[in-house]
Amino acid sequence: MSAFNLFQRLSQAPTKPKAVPAARQFDVADLYQGPIALGAEGEAAARPFDEKLRQAYFWIVNHAIISPHYDIEYNDGPSQTYSVGDSRRTLNLPSAQSYSSFILLPLLTFATRRKCLFVGGPGRGKTASALLMGVLAGSTVKEVKRAMQHGHPQMTVADLLGNPLPADLVNAQSMDDIRIAWRAWLGMRVKIVDEYNRIPTRTQSALLTVMGDNYAEVLNHIYECPEAAWYLTANDDQGGGTYQVIEALRDRVDVTVQALAFNPRFLNELLLRVEENVRPEELVPPDIIFTEGEVDQIGESIRQVGIPDAVRRRLEFFASQFELFETAGGQFEYMTKDTARLAGADRGAAQAADNGRDRLKDLGCQTLNGISVRTLMALLIYAKAMAYFRGNGEVELEDLRQVLPFVLHNKLQPDPDAPFFALPENAAYRSDRLGWLRRLFDLSNDEFNRLDLDRDDPVGVLSAEFDLGLDGVSERETLARLNRIEKLIGERTKGRKLYGPLYDDLLKLKYLHQRYTNYRSWLRSQ
Amino acid sequence: MISPAFASILASGRAQFNARAAEARRRFPALDMAAFSAFLRDGVDPLVVAVAAAAPERVGGVTLAAYDMALELVGHGLAGPAAKTPFLNTVWRELAPSFAPLLSTAPVDVLGMLSNAALHIASVAGARPAQWQRELAALAARIATLAQLRAVGQVLAWRAGVAHFRQGALAAADTLPPALALAAFGEPGAPWPQVRAQLQENPWRGNADGREFGSFTGLGGAFGTPPLVRASADGFVVYSGERHYLLVADAYGAVLHSAMAQEFEQANADMPASVRLDGATLQIGARRIELDVPAGDMAIAANAHTIAVTSPWTHAIRLLPLA
Repeated sequence: MSAFNLFQRLSQAPTKPKAVPAARQFDVADLYQGPIALGAEGEAAARPFDEKLRQAYFWIVNHAIISPHYDIEYNDGPSQTYSVGDSRRTLNLPSAQSYSSFILLPLLTFATRRKCLFVGGPGRGKTASALLMGVLAGSTVKEVKRAMQHGHPQMTVADLLGNPLPADLVNAQSMDDIRIAWRAWLGMRVKIVDEYNRIPTRTQSALLTVMGDNYAEVLNHIYECPEAAWYLTANDDQGGGTYQVIEALRDRVDVTVQALAFNPRFLNELLLRVEENVRPEELVPPDIIFTEGEVDQIGESIRQVGIPDAVRRRLEFFASQFELFETAGGQFEYMTKDTARLAGADRGAAQAADNGRDRLKDLGCQTLNGISVRTLMALLIYAKAMAYFRGNGEVELEDLRQVLPFVLHNKLQPDPDAPFFALPENAAYRSDRLGWLRRLFDLSNDEFNRLDLDRDDPVGVLSAEFDLGLDGVSERETLARLNRIEKLIGERTKGRKLYGPLYDDLLKLKYLHQRYTNYRSWLRSQ
Repeated sequence: MISPAFASILASGRAQFNARAAEARRRFPALDMAAFSAFLRDGVDPLVVAVAAAAPERVGGVTLAAYDMALELVGHGLAGPAAKTPFLNTVWRELAPSFAPLLSTAPVDVLGMLSNAALHIASVAGARPAQWQRELAALAARIATLAQLRAVGQVLAWRAGVAHFRQGALAAADTLPPALALAAFGEPGAPWPQVRAQLQENPWRGNADGREFGSFTGLGGAFGTPPLVRASADGFVVYSGERHYLLVADAYGAVLHSAMAQEFEQANADMPASVRLDGATLQIGARRIELDVPAGDMAIAANAHTIAVTSPWTHAIRLLPLA
């Protein structure tokens, strides 16, 4: 029997017991399950991958990265709350299994092979966390460390991607004759770029190609990279590194996680490591190493997780809040913040002209931009991944609420001049972007409830009617639907101020109107 | 006092053993070294002596394995004088030495299996750990491999009252030589296929009287209020004291598991056609059974093999074979 493995123990209990009645299957092998770990013969059957993922999470949280910050809170019934300090901030004791975002989000990134950015001061475990993800993918610590790219001010494209072989450079008659010595990291299933905000701008562009299109190009030679999870670290998310991070590169990042401060109450854990001379990343239990096939299967399972219409509608409503900028466009479709941004217009002046709306109630007034398609897709996939991780087959609103701030962290830019931030109770949101985004989503849901859109959504009804298809719809019925659309537009626009959701509803109604109009023309031509 | 064999091994590897104990102390801050010493003396020494007699050349490896495991068990508070489950001490002291030949080849597996099984059986309310130990010790000489030990242990666990292991234990018995399987059922000389078929067919084989299960929590029983029972495929779903349970019962025992309200709602509350209640007399086909509870307000639930009778006047459930 080997000596004790201080750091390699995995929880034998299911990490997420489900309270759902299921067909019972009593296993006689349970007789030999207990505190004593047996050899292969005594092992239970293979665990489902979501359980394996949770085992990995709990191992990392309990033994590897000391992150006792349960900032992803789930509640199952009432929870105990306390108001603390002069600011009367709420300390919540969640009543259901809750998680540390610093570990969970990178793990979900690993499972979905997306791109995660760690931000935070030096020595808070950003690189260590990324390193662990590499080890979870089956690489040795040495391999992961060697393949890790360290951003530095002199980093060239060749440093990043690879060099042409010197002998070929001299003797080659054409570009095709030049062989490239590609960097090993391009073939890794977990790619780590440390301090990416210290990489020169030109090299960042090369990195963008690899991140965005999954291939590298040097001297007309192409290296196709395997599907991989990406981890980038930055000491400063606001572009305060050696170089400004190009916007397209920032936009490729799917989720941003902040490394929180070390709690000295856990110093004994560090002491143990010093005394035992161990490094957790070197002791990852083999049971939580994932093969490529397993990650493929997890990814497939995550994609199969359902998003109920009610949850999707909430996201639609939320996303509708931000793009409208009424004074930016003369034509209805161009009344967007992006129009103003592309034109380089004076935002302050345009905003001053946009009066009459409730600037506090309008969530769109709090941001400088809207939400991109890529961001919405990342939101959907991370919400699914969160539901999968929790052992559910469907996304709950809370799953979406929990992942949303981390996905939008880098994407939705707050407008510091917005009246919302001027309120004393909202002052903390100027610096706490995650808290602000969560608050934003809560406010959006409050408005959604106030409008009773779960039950009364005429645009949704018209949309669902259209989704049934136009086969067999008569001209008379088409005209009736066109009338209903026009009537609804009339009702919705009568004496109302224009807010984001209304703007999107009107564009949707215009779209439906156009489709029915085309269909009516086609019917008449028959 | 420990045996000379054990003392000699401890002395020869003193530094290593001390280092392991120190390491365990860091891992289990509450590890009581006095309790550990007592367990070495009472639990580990007998098996070291047994292995020293059966395979002297393997005694070092067995001792090391047993020492590490003992540290872990005492560290968890599962072994030693203050153990939460004293049965584990008994298994190490009395049962494990019977398997000295197997211990010498696979000490971690044998000790691990016996320890885990001891803890498991001791934790099942209504199981009979002493019977399991006694019957396993009686068969020790006939068990030649780890696989046989595993299967015999499972069969005997079922027979010792862990009723929900029934199907798994039958499957485990199939992996044994027929003579050993029959010995595990205490029926030497019978044809195994016939015994196997009867066991599979009738969960109440060998027990025509059924059994009583439950009683009041205040008297050490399982139910806080007189239980309500409904039938399900696995057994009976029970509701008592605002809690739900699944009761699995057969000829060898009855075990209570936790269940959910939905299971109770979905369970079958119908009375089978062949069963009739006449006052305090239960009529099952041609059989008449006098029940020792006041007539009236009695309830009956039945699954494919068993009838459960409850009454508002008792906290116990009467389980009777249907056949």
